[in-house]
Amino acid sequence: MIFEMKNIVKMYDSVCANDDVSLHLNRGEILAIVGENGAGKSTIMKILYGLVKPTSGEIFVNGKKVHFRTPSDAMAAGIGMVQQHFMLFESMTVAENIVFKNEIHKGPFMDMNKTIETVQALSDKYQLKIDPRAKIADCPVGLRQRVEILKILYQNAEIIIFDEPSAVLTPLEVDALLETMKQLAAAGKSIVIITHKLQEVMAVSDRVYVMRQGKVVAERMTCDTDQEELAFLMVGRQIVNRHIDPIEATTTLLEAKGLKYYEDGREVLKGIDIHVNAGEIVGIAGVSGNGQSELISCITGLLPVTGGQVLIQGKDVTNKSVREIRDAGLAHISEDRYVWGSAPEGTLEENTLMCRQDEEPFSKKGLVNHRKIREYARSLIQDFAVKASSPTQKMRELSGGNAQKLIVAREMSLNTPVLICCEPTRGIDIGAMEAIHDRMVKRRGEGAGILLVSSELTEIMSLSDRIYVIYEGRINGEFKRDSMDDKRLGLLMLGGSIDNE
Amino acid sequence: MNENRNWKKSLGAIADAFAQPLVAVVISLFLGAVVIVICGENVFTAYGAMIRGAFGNSFYINDTLKRATPIIMGGLAVCIAWRSGYEAMGGEGQMILGAFCAALVAYYLPLPGILRILLAMLVAVVVGALYSALTGWLYEKFDVTFIISTLMLNYIANYFASYMTNFVVKDPESLDINAVQTGKIAAEARIPAIFSGSVHWGFVYALIAVVLVYFLFKKTSFGYKSRMNGLNSRFALYGGINARRMLYVVLILSGAMAGLGGAFEALGSKYRYIDQMIFTTGFAWSGMVAALLANFNPIGTAVASILLAGLSTGGSAMQRSTIIPVEVCNMIEGIITLLMSVRLLRIAQKNHRVRKTAKEG
Repeated sequence: MIFEMKNIVKMYDSVCANDDVSLHLNRGEILAIVGENGAGKSTIMKILYGLVKPTSGEIFVNGKKVHFRTPSDAMAAGIGMVQQHFMLFESMTVAENIVFKNEIHKGPFMDMNKTIETVQALSDKYQLKIDPRAKIADCPVGLRQRVEILKILYQNAEIIIFDEPSAVLTPLEVDALLETMKQLAAAGKSIVIITHKLQEVMAVSDRVYVMRQGKVVAERMTCDTDQEELAFLMVGRQIVNRHIDPIEATTTLLEAKGLKYYEDGREVLKGIDIHVNAGEIVGIAGVSGNGQSELISCITGLLPVTGGQVLIQGKDVTNKSVREIRDAGLAHISEDRYVWGSAPEGTLEENTLMCRQDEEPFSKKGLVNHRKIREYARSLIQDFAVKASSPTQKMRELSGGNAQKLIVAREMSLNTPVLICCEPTRGIDIGAMEAIHDRMVKRRGEGAGILLVSSELTEIMSLSDRIYVIYEGRINGEFKRDSMDDKRLGLLMLGGSIDNE
Repeated sequence: MNENRNWKKSLGAIADAFAQPLVAVVISLFLGAVVIVICGENVFTAYGAMIRGAFGNSFYINDTLKRATPIIMGGLAVCIAWRSGYEAMGGEGQMILGAFCAALVAYYLPLPGILRILLAMLVAVVVGALYSALTGWLYEKFDVTFIISTLMLNYIANYFASYMTNFVVKDPESLDINAVQTGKIAAEARIPAIFSGSVHWGFVYALIAVVLVYFLFKKTSFGYKSRMNGLNSRFALYGGINARRMLYVVLILSGAMAGLGGAFEALGSKYRYIDQMIFTTGFAWSGMVAALLANFNPIGTAVASILLAGLSTGGSAMQRSTIIPVEVCNMIEGIITLLMSVRLLRIAQKNHRVRKTAKEG
């Protein structure tokens, strides 16, 4: 047993993030901690890593009781964490980043040759291939993560914690990462992986803890369980596998023709052609940062289009105002719910009113009707099962999933022919995700055309009738529902090409 | 149970909203008390004299309300702009031009009295609004932040009015060669007192403006849109609210309020434009402090304006009857400003960040 946590309790004000959690890790094993967002799995790891202090409870490393005040204390005890957001210096080399804080010196200067030698040796030892001389800025995300792992290994960590490590990776990179974890475990390191992706848990872990509402609700040996059971333990109910009846698509509702967008002279969108028909969910798959955000912003009028056309129900809305575009029949669930999609400091009723403030019965001749507005907010809260105490509470008081449900409720209730869903379920729990997916399928059934952008490949795969793959501002492939295959999708997402398509 | 929690929550929210203003006022009064003690005066005697001098009898009350009138209007100007997310501080310049132009119209135009008053107020509104819209144009075209443009335009307005009063429209009837002021407005073109010896009608008009702005905020879809723009301008943009129109409408309304405040002061209190009359009295700044204290609630702003005006009139009274100089009151208001501006900075930073990223996409 390399570490053990006993009866950890963590209170944030009156909210209990961890309620009497006890867990342990054996040497050389890969331990998975799974749970929905807000189940308390990140909190427990932050406590172990010294980022957060527990309200009560004890931590033992190698049988000795420890008190971590900072991450440096945890690091000194041999615990390292690969964060979701990498902490790397873009303009420095891989080797420089790895030795940061423990540089190899020759007199007052850094010994570059020795540094590169050491890093190379480390890379060879754990079979984590990198180029020590490459600049971080030139490294893709998967490689950056590898640098983070090496950074931790360089500091002699015995325990490595991965916090949602696959969130930013492509499918091929995920495979490589899982392989890396196995190698590390084989080399005697102990690994904790925090995730809500069950296929990864099944593929890599030896043992798994399931957390729900701040508590450990189950412990299983991975070989004794399966995805269905884990999912059931996470949400407390069985998840249905979605079945979507094919619909014959006819009228085109949304169309982009040769859409271009330049930013600071750089081509971000290089002529995109897509269309969405009535009764169709069209997915856009791609690694984030390949132009998805810009594509949606250009379509919805939030960014000026440099070239090409956007048509909604045949009407040219290129470079029209957001108002005109929405009036032409478009609703938009935005990528970031607090930056664009809502006013966190506003009340729920203010947030549900957006776009309808000049419509009867909510206002007449510029005068608002507070009673109708409140009724409307109440009805949306009820229809979409948003957990809220009152329409006058502030948006930011809702949990992420409920805030997202409210935004989805607002946009879907506009009943527009075209609905754009950007990352509609990012960072929310399975329950809320299922509810939102149900609604999307329902709108599809009612004849709406839905454009779905998501970095979650399973989401795209399970909902879409058709998928476009976007790569570096270009459409790099198109799939129909029956010819989908995640390996080929992954290849296209990384810029590869497939001849037989 | 649930209702009870909500009730407690909203009480908590109210307490949150009032915490900073209350702390600011208490700390500044406490520091004022320390200075009074150091000067060798009894704190209760001094503050007692101040309160009596502000609200002790009808004469003092009228004096306080008269002073409060332009402060309320300056405060409303800030409420409108800041609540909508534009941290404009141009109230002073707009008020100066409003006062100056109103004084000229009321003095020179050969019209019946009532028309002259109305026209003078209208001109003040238009001039204030246009001067305020200018900052919007500077922001839109040249990306000049409001804090810079409004503060600089305040100086331009003040020195322009000063130059004009010195060299172009100086009072032709004045016997005192050193009096830098425009001609005295004839009795029929002044805003009259409510009853003999009392505060002028401008105060009542200011209160009407308070109610109208409150109504605008709470009951109109424009109030909703501007609030959303202030809370999260990107959300407003995403929801299809026309950002450009919002910018100009808000700045025009805000400038109109400040300009009208200047007109009240010129037509109802001084009966002319006197060089530096807005600049040295700091009406616009007191208005900003009042708006910040009230968290941009128009009614709260009016109350805070009257209290700040009382601090000033009461201070003069305190100076007359004790050994404490009026500067102690200026100090108190200064400390309130300082403590409230901590929040002001925070709001400005937040808005700037949001707008910057919104502009960059």
